[in-house]
Amino acid sequence: MVPNRAVASRASFPSRLLMTWLVAGFLLSLVVMASLLCGAGPVSPGDAFAALLGNGPDNAHFVVTELRGPRTMIGLVTGLALGLAGALLQSMTRNPLAEPGLLGVSAGSGFAVALAILFGASNATLTTFVAQLGALAGCALVIAATRVQGLGNDPVRLILAGATLSGLLLALTSMLMLMDQRAADEIRFWITGSIAGKPLTLLSSTLPAIAVGLLIIAMVARPLAAMALGEKAAVGLGHHPGRIRFLITLSVALLVGSATALAGPLIFVGLVVPFIARAFAGPDIRKTLWLCLPIGPAVVLGADVLSRLIAAPSELPLGVVTALIGAPALLAIVRAGRMPSL
Amino acid sequence: MSSVPTKTRSAAKKSFLALAAIAFSLNVAKAESRTVETAFGPVTIEGQPERVVTLYEGALDTTLAVGSSAVGAVITRGGSDVADYIQPQAADVAIVGAPAETNIEAVIAARPDLILAAPRTSKQQYQLLSRVAPVVVSDVPMFQPDSWKQETQLFARALGQEEAGEAVIEQVESRIAEVRQLVEATIPEDRRDATLVRWMPQGPLVMADGLFSASILQAAGFEVTDNNLVKDGRPHSEPLSLENLARMDQSWVVLATLNEDGEKALESARKSPAFERLNAVRNEQVISVSGQLWTSASGPLAALAILDDIETAVQNIQP
Repeated sequence: MVPNRAVASRASFPSRLLMTWLVAGFLLSLVVMASLLCGAGPVSPGDAFAALLGNGPDNAHFVVTELRGPRTMIGLVTGLALGLAGALLQSMTRNPLAEPGLLGVSAGSGFAVALAILFGASNATLTTFVAQLGALAGCALVIAATRVQGLGNDPVRLILAGATLSGLLLALTSMLMLMDQRAADEIRFWITGSIAGKPLTLLSSTLPAIAVGLLIIAMVARPLAAMALGEKAAVGLGHHPGRIRFLITLSVALLVGSATALAGPLIFVGLVVPFIARAFAGPDIRKTLWLCLPIGPAVVLGADVLSRLIAAPSELPLGVVTALIGAPALLAIVRAGRMPSL
Repeated sequence: MSSVPTKTRSAAKKSFLALAAIAFSLNVAKAESRTVETAFGPVTIEGQPERVVTLYEGALDTTLAVGSSAVGAVITRGGSDVADYIQPQAADVAIVGAPAETNIEAVIAARPDLILAAPRTSKQQYQLLSRVAPVVVSDVPMFQPDSWKQETQLFARALGQEEAGEAVIEQVESRIAEVRQLVEATIPEDRRDATLVRWMPQGPLVMADGLFSASILQAAGFEVTDNNLVKDGRPHSEPLSLENLARMDQSWVVLATLNEDGEKALESARKSPAFERLNAVRNEQVISVSGQLWTSASGPLAALAILDDIETAVQNIQP
């Protein structure tokens, strides 16, 4: 899926992981099919299937190729980016709850875009760039927070700090919305998170950034795994923790910024996806990252299919559905007797 | 395809001046003490109110339409001031909040002698406001075709301008008849169905067919429908999935936008392939209009401005 053999040499890709990966990949292909076949509209799965094969009624053909197709692709990329970003952030902060949404990275990105909308931005590329810049600022604040004495070692306190940051940024976004009701209208629909009706041009404007993010992951996966043994061990193995942290921050910002530009701020995806991946892959970050590749898109697309079916003939915003799924998951993780340590 | 310029509503302006003249001549007969029926029981108002504060778009509209003036008003939903169509008449009105959140201190500072409040004012808010001045909350059932008429009569009576109220209703009605004649002469009978939407990238918001502007559009000869998409009890609007656009595909689509520039809104909607597939779009029968006027405002002046929009759009059909 990604050209990074360095991440998983044959030795680090045992057959058990391969099996899990294949199963996850199979599930993902099922979800992709569901995403192409199911919708809030009158086009039946049968007609949609016929349209996929090149026949079927004209309307079904339109809905599948022009509406569900782009939407599915955008969902795939968004899920991929958020799942990987979550796994990276958690590994780097050694905190299983460190999720871009909960820590305020998405909120930073969202605030930046809201600001851009207020000043009249509509150009897709500009929004993408702004979203990434905001995510970078959010990341920097997270890093700063982990440096505060004691905060970095306590998962729940870091999340509280993130909640404070998110709250602040949301308040600022609300303020922007009060300043200009017209922009407010646009921001309001953007901020709930959705992948419906987004043009494919948006995807092409985010792909370079995502490619760079993936490249960085390929480069730092091995040192990151070494850092899990402790910084001293990593230094002993010839790695530079500071440089690695910087690269990962950059990668997370690129991935979250791209995902936010595509779908708006979606919280909890970056929490749920690595959590599932770790349950199957164990503590090795390289295996977790590999498993995040199919699981992330599957979670986002699955949530999107639900969002279309629950409220037909209208649709629930995707952000609402991911929050509905993710909030109980967070509670379950926190309440689980033993917090998985990284 | 036509966009109605928001600034040049000369017809509305002219009719306003005529109305003001009528209202002024009627003003000479001093209003006496009168009791009006409101949602919170009868309210007695003495004499001619001089410092009126309106807490709802329709109330400001009616107040200005019957020739009274307002010292305070709330912003029109979807904007940061009163709506453009009413700007010329409401230039020196102080803003005392938004429809959902009144700044009570600003209301007191305006020293009102009459407050015209929104239909959904809470009892608590009503009691608070009543300590400042007599408060009139409309008890007219909302979202009926003639709600605006009854509301105009109610507010006009509260303002001591009953005759002017009747005069303005009559004027709107004759204007409706005029536009209706044009519509019926221009558009064949089976091509007059229309739907009112606001466009979002994720899909349209279908506006209820009980909305004020929809009732004016209906009165002007169009068949307005929301295709039962807007549920009862949710009287404003309902979002629709892009996949279900066929359910709003009437001969005419009235595209309301909160942006000043209707053409720009149309342009962004046109980026969506689903929008391009609508029959109304293919046949160039999309009317882009101001969302403030068409989805937030109500009252006689709004009716006249909406009728101007309809007239311009229908006149543009002919080459």
